Amino acid sequence: MGRIRELVEYREMTASLVRRELRGKYKGSILGFLWTFINPLCQIVIYTVVFSMIMRSGLENFNIYMISGMIPWFFFSGSVLQGAGCIRAHANMVKKIYFPREVLPIVVTTFQFINMLLSFIFIIAVVIVEKGQFNPAAWGYLPLVMLIEYMLALGLSLLISACTVYFRDLEHITSVMMMAWIYLTPIFYPIKTIPEYLLPVFCWNPMTPVIEMYHSIIYYAVVPDLADLVQAAFSAIAFLILGSLVFRKLEENFAEEL
Amino acid sequence: MTTISVCAVKKNFKVYFDKGNMLKERILFPNRNHYERREVLRGISFACQRGEAVGLIGKNGCGKSTILKLLSRILRPNEGTITVNGRVSSLIELGAGFHMDMTGRENIYINAAIFGLKRKEINARLDAIIRFSELGEYIDNPVRTYSSGMYMRLAFSVAINVDADILLVDEILAVGDVNFRKKCFDKLKEIKASGTTIVIVSHSMEQLYEICDRLIWIDNGLIRMEGDTRRTAEAYLNEMKNERD
Repeated sequence: MGRIRELVEYREMTASLVRRELRGKYKGSILGFLWTFINPLCQIVIYTVVFSMIMRSGLENFNIYMISGMIPWFFFSGSVLQGAGCIRAHANMVKKIYFPREVLPIVVTTFQFINMLLSFIFIIAVVIVEKGQFNPAAWGYLPLVMLIEYMLALGLSLLISACTVYFRDLEHITSVMMMAWIYLTPIFYPIKTIPEYLLPVFCWNPMTPVIEMYHSIIYYAVVPDLADLVQAAFSAIAFLILGSLVFRKLEENFAEEL
Repeated sequence: MTTISVCAVKKNFKVYFDKGNMLKERILFPNRNHYERREVLRGISFACQRGEAVGLIGKNGCGKSTILKLLSRILRPNEGTITVNGRVSSLIELGAGFHMDMTGRENIYINAAIFGLKRKEINARLDAIIRFSELGEYIDNPVRTYSSGMYMRLAFSVAINVDADILLVDEILAVGDVNFRKKCFDKLKEIKASGTTIVIVSHSMEQLYEICDRLIWIDNGLIRMEGDTRRTAEAYLNEMKNERD
């Protein structure tokens, strides 16, 4: 509990580091902050060409389906990938000044979260252009779904960032893992098309219910399934607790190991 | 009132002979991970009062900086306890979190926030920090355009205006020109008079004479001598002289 109070004390540090990330990342580049949008836009164009022109999925309004899973996925994978190296990237600060170390993964996750919120402009634009449906009752669930995903992403980045300090290969292992993980989550295809023998993998994947809920809200325009909600919330809380505990244990020797 | 109490603290570091960090190395050379534990502090106890300035002296590698890192909670002791009452600011790492592309003013906010200040507290100190740094209108230029002197002045101004209850200073009073150094020293004295505890590591005896109430001489991880500034400093300098001869 004392730990949480201390993190609240340091909220200004978190806020100003997030601001620094947002403003500092694109300073000096000509298109500046626009890159936040251009980057996912390009990825979406590429995946659209691949999956709706070359490998047809047969889903109606496939673009809405894909984008509503992909933007939340980018938030998740961005947090985990950037989170993996965040303690090592700030080695100088960690070795020379005191602050609650959890601030660093929290900053990464929050920065990626804000990027996702901004990217939702895209989702709305695509839904309008493709003449999809809006269901206000379903969209009401969105903040809750986002909160669950935030907890899951933070839990995993706490866990991996702390372990990476002691075991550097983990950063590379994580990037390979995320490469496979995107295809083990129903983002480019509906879960119905997955062969029976592969289903357990998808069921145990904590991102499956999260992405399924985004699909329900944005693509199917219905209220998310209660089973998905419970499963996602449960695994998010479990990961957050596990991540915090491991982080606290490993954090004691960060300054010496870096 | 006691602000710092250090009780029978021991600290040892792992010293790797040849650390295998990569998976490949660990698998190929599993025996390479051998390390030995080197005791840096072997049982140190002392206490500091409010408004007191204590200097730490001793040879290079005797553990002075380790003590400061333990006090600032960057490191944790292997044995013993450290109790610190109040907000700690350190003039150990200056300019933590500075972003080169952002202006001096923006960096003040980031840097001060890393010391644990809230936005309101930073706003209240902003003018004092800018005035102290003598950067004038340059404060709104990006930090990357600063000279190293300007950079250090800005970083120092933030750290010293945090209004901490405990200030840790590690050998960095070589900042800026003579006038700025004098100003820093006057500021340190003013801070001390206002009730802040200062723990300072320095090799410059003049600086220590000027500000410290008492010195602690660390030798080989133990306290060799503690007490009056001049007497302790003279004993230390004598010993150093004998070693040279």
